[in-house]
Amino acid sequence: MNLNLPDETSTHSRTTLVQTGGAASALLLCVGLVVWLGWLVLREIDDFSVANSDNLQWSLAQADVEFLQFRLAMKEAQDNPDAMEDVRRRFDIFYSRMVTMSSGRVFHALRESVQSSAPRMRVLDFLENTVPLIDGPDDVFLAELPALLEESEQVTADVRAFSLAALTAFAEVSDSRREGITELMIYIAAVLLALFIGLTLLAYAMFRLFRLAQKRADALQFASTRMKTIVQTSPNAIVVTDEVGVVREFNTAAEALFGYTRAEAVGRLALELMVPADTLARHQLGALAFLDEHRRPRLDEQHFEITLQTRDQHLFPAEISADRAEADNPLYVFYIRDISNWKEAEEQLTDARDRALAGERTKSEFLAVMSHEMRTPLNGLLGAMQLMRDHSLTTRQSDLLDRMQSSGRLLLELVNDVLDLAKFEAGKMRAEEAPFSINRLLNGLMETAQPLAQTYGNELNWRWCGPEGDGAIGDARRLRQVLLNLVGNALKFTRDGTVEVEVEYLDAAQTEIEFRVIDNGIGIAEKDLARIFQDFETLDSSYAREAGGTGLGLGIARRFMRLMGGEIGAESEPGEGSLFWIRVPLTPSEDVGAVPEEPRDCPDKPQRPLDVLLVEDNEINRFIVREMLEGEGHKVTIAENGQAGVDMAELHRFDVILMDISMPVMDGTTASGHIRRGTGACAEVPIIALTAHALPEERERFRKVGMTACLTKPIERPLLLRTLAQVTSGEIPALPDTPAPAAPSAPPVLTVVEPSAEAPADPAHGLLDEERLRAFLSEVPRAAANKLLERFFAEMDRNIAALAETAPDDPDLAPVAHQCAGSCGPFGAEALRRALGRIETQVKRGEQPDKAELEALADLWQQSRSALEARLEAA
Amino acid sequence: MFGLPPLRALVFLAACAVPMASVAVTADEALPAPAEEPLLVVSGAITNTNVGDTATFDFDMLEALDTRTFTTKTIWTDGDQVFTGVQLSDLMELVGAEGTEIKATAINDYAVTIPSEDWVDGGPIVAFLNHGEKMPVRNKGPLWIVYPFDQKPEYQTEQIYSRAIWQLDRIIVLD
Repeated sequence: MNLNLPDETSTHSRTTLVQTGGAASALLLCVGLVVWLGWLVLREIDDFSVANSDNLQWSLAQADVEFLQFRLAMKEAQDNPDAMEDVRRRFDIFYSRMVTMSSGRVFHALRESVQSSAPRMRVLDFLENTVPLIDGPDDVFLAELPALLEESEQVTADVRAFSLAALTAFAEVSDSRREGITELMIYIAAVLLALFIGLTLLAYAMFRLFRLAQKRADALQFASTRMKTIVQTSPNAIVVTDEVGVVREFNTAAEALFGYTRAEAVGRLALELMVPADTLARHQLGALAFLDEHRRPRLDEQHFEITLQTRDQHLFPAEISADRAEADNPLYVFYIRDISNWKEAEEQLTDARDRALAGERTKSEFLAVMSHEMRTPLNGLLGAMQLMRDHSLTTRQSDLLDRMQSSGRLLLELVNDVLDLAKFEAGKMRAEEAPFSINRLLNGLMETAQPLAQTYGNELNWRWCGPEGDGAIGDARRLRQVLLNLVGNALKFTRDGTVEVEVEYLDAAQTEIEFRVIDNGIGIAEKDLARIFQDFETLDSSYAREAGGTGLGLGIARRFMRLMGGEIGAESEPGEGSLFWIRVPLTPSEDVGAVPEEPRDCPDKPQRPLDVLLVEDNEINRFIVREMLEGEGHKVTIAENGQAGVDMAELHRFDVILMDISMPVMDGTTASGHIRRGTGACAEVPIIALTAHALPEERERFRKVGMTACLTKPIERPLLLRTLAQVTSGEIPALPDTPAPAAPSAPPVLTVVEPSAEAPADPAHGLLDEERLRAFLSEVPRAAANKLLERFFAEMDRNIAALAETAPDDPDLAPVAHQCAGSCGPFGAEALRRALGRIETQVKRGEQPDKAELEALADLWQQSRSALEARLEAA
Repeated sequence: MFGLPPLRALVFLAACAVPMASVAVTADEALPAPAEEPLLVVSGAITNTNVGDTATFDFDMLEALDTRTFTTKTIWTDGDQVFTGVQLSDLMELVGAEGTEIKATAINDYAVTIPSEDWVDGGPIVAFLNHGEKMPVRNKGPLWIVYPFDQKPEYQTEQIYSRAIWQLDRIIVLD
């Protein structure tokens, strides 16, 4: 409630401590005073309770009187000797008095000076001298009597003097004693005063404490009332339980939410009241476990969602904030909110979003598929047109063919653009990371764009600004596409001018590079500058209409730049020219890439029909490769194993040999070795290895036995055709260089192009490679495809069951796995193919695959088969 | 209890408890006449008399009575004093005192009043021996009413001190 509370409390406690200390010392002082005073008083009481003195004054006066009586008796005895006895008695009495005054406590109080004063001494002397006379015979005494009387005259004065001196002394003693008592009284008065003051202070302190306590009690009362009001008026249900979960507080909102009144709820177990019975019965407290463990919920346990039930057994989702108030009797506080509506809304939103996303994706996929599908026939048309030029044509026909070709290329460009866009939107595009040469890229660019530059009478060149560089790691293909687009645009909008490409590193570490494409063409108005990077935007100008285009180029360029983490921008002055720039982060590299980014000099497919020997044991693969090649007009001869291949190559000179690696009887590597070492017809013919997954050490082995290139299964038609073109045109020498271990990445070992690199298989959805399957279905006539699939299913059912049973150290394991993997390839059963590939790799490396992995194959196959069948039905 | 007055019962009990070796004079016997010079004359409201209507005691008579001896300090003497004498209560019993107080007078005519509350067993004695010696008049003799001050501190008051009369020679029992 009060954030200052801790400080205030500490101040209070300090004050209280000081007060307590003060009070304690004051009390101690008081007790000391009282004890001291008590001791004084007791001593005085003790003194008074035991009387120490007789009536002294009387005694002293008596001494006088008794001496006088003695003298009177003596005088009487002068006349009447019979009075002698009285004289003796009076003497004795006086003697006794003096003795008494010499001894006893009473007289010790007298000062020494009084005790030893001359008058007393004289009296004592007189007594001692007189005793013999008194005790002697009467006649002697009578004879001495007159002298004695005379002497006693003098002694009377002494007795009086002594009495007076003693009286004075006693008066002093008495005075000092009274002074002592007065002093004591003053002490008592002082202490009483001190006590009174002390008591007053104490009373005041008590009063203050009382007021303070009252104030705190009031504050507490107020806080408590306020809390109660807050709790009661809270729109959320608030339930407070004690440590064992018994409800202590149940607010109005809770009453409304759960249907129990406060009186019903308080005293019952919260869990029984609000948590569904079956949850309790199963001991699945889950988020409420802390309650069961009697501890404070951890931070991550304080907010959770849970299903609760109301009084009429209605279940609802609830959001709970819980915490434990630590005290002598810990309390759990739960804020409970019914989130049924929220949940519902959330579900609806999620549904809506999912539907929207799915629709978007479907659209993109549709676009991608359509574009892809359109490319194939377009390529066919363009190819056919090219072939038409081999025939003699009239000028008119030639003109028409020019237009057709021009239109066809435009259409192809359009389709390619849309495909890029669709792929990007479908999220299937990833930037590649490979070393390349910036210089080579730009040189190639110049070469490609040169014809266009000449068309418009433009001068085209490029140069480095600042320090020059070369090697970099990045996506060279897309970078080239973007630059080509910019250069193309510049050229199209410039007549008889110059287009220059400037390259400059933006930092010393060469991690960011800028390319500027500068022209002195017509320029772009400022208002259009922002617009040109939008999709389907074309500027309305005569040039633009002349140049044509989809208006996608810059949109795609922008996307590619974003994909590569770069930027694109433009500046322009109408009539003066334009400057388009891109900035790309690139990792500098020493390696400039071994393979030219674009095999420009080499056509995408062999320029003439080839005579091909296909050495392949897998019937399905055999069929597909044959379909691919024969479809292109090539002649295919089949050998079913390595030995058969060697035999055939001995006799007939083929243009190229496609050699599977794992085969019964004789494997591909051995067969290739035989062919190369032999003197047969094909000793120097290019041999292309076909392998499902080529390990680096295997590739090295292929190279050593003299194989020309290596293709990764599943075989893709374009790659196959391009590779065939490369090896037959001599771009890749048929015979690799003599073994050069220092350069394992030398050109002869063909880069292994992974199929569908642009769409890496997502392990969760990678059961089937849709594209591959689609390619298969489009490449293979339906009847043949069905037949193949039937055989594939039968073969896999048998082999996978066998594999699942096979011991991990069985020597048959690797070949069977290999065969199955090979069969999977064409049908796009990616996941299974990969799993089989892993097992094969493990065996090849001398490791034993996991038994569980083998057993998992059966499941995987069943899933793959179901997916395939579903897909086929849909087709 | 036995139909006796409390005081008598007390004496009776004391007598039973402490058998006397000497010839004890009891209240019922007639007092013999003093053979020597009298030391103490008790007069007034008494029933047991020997000389006229007084009870007169000489030294031997007192010595023959049931005596008590105790040691105490007094404010008039130095050091412990051993006193021997007849308990006042016993004496009053003997003379058949019927009053509520006595007036004790000394040779020098000093006089005090002692109420009957003081005549109790364990109370004051009429001492005639100090340290086993007779007391001369020169040293507060011949008789001295001494309270057992040390035994009973409540006797250490000025009033009691004033009652401790020395050179005693007359007692008058007052009604």
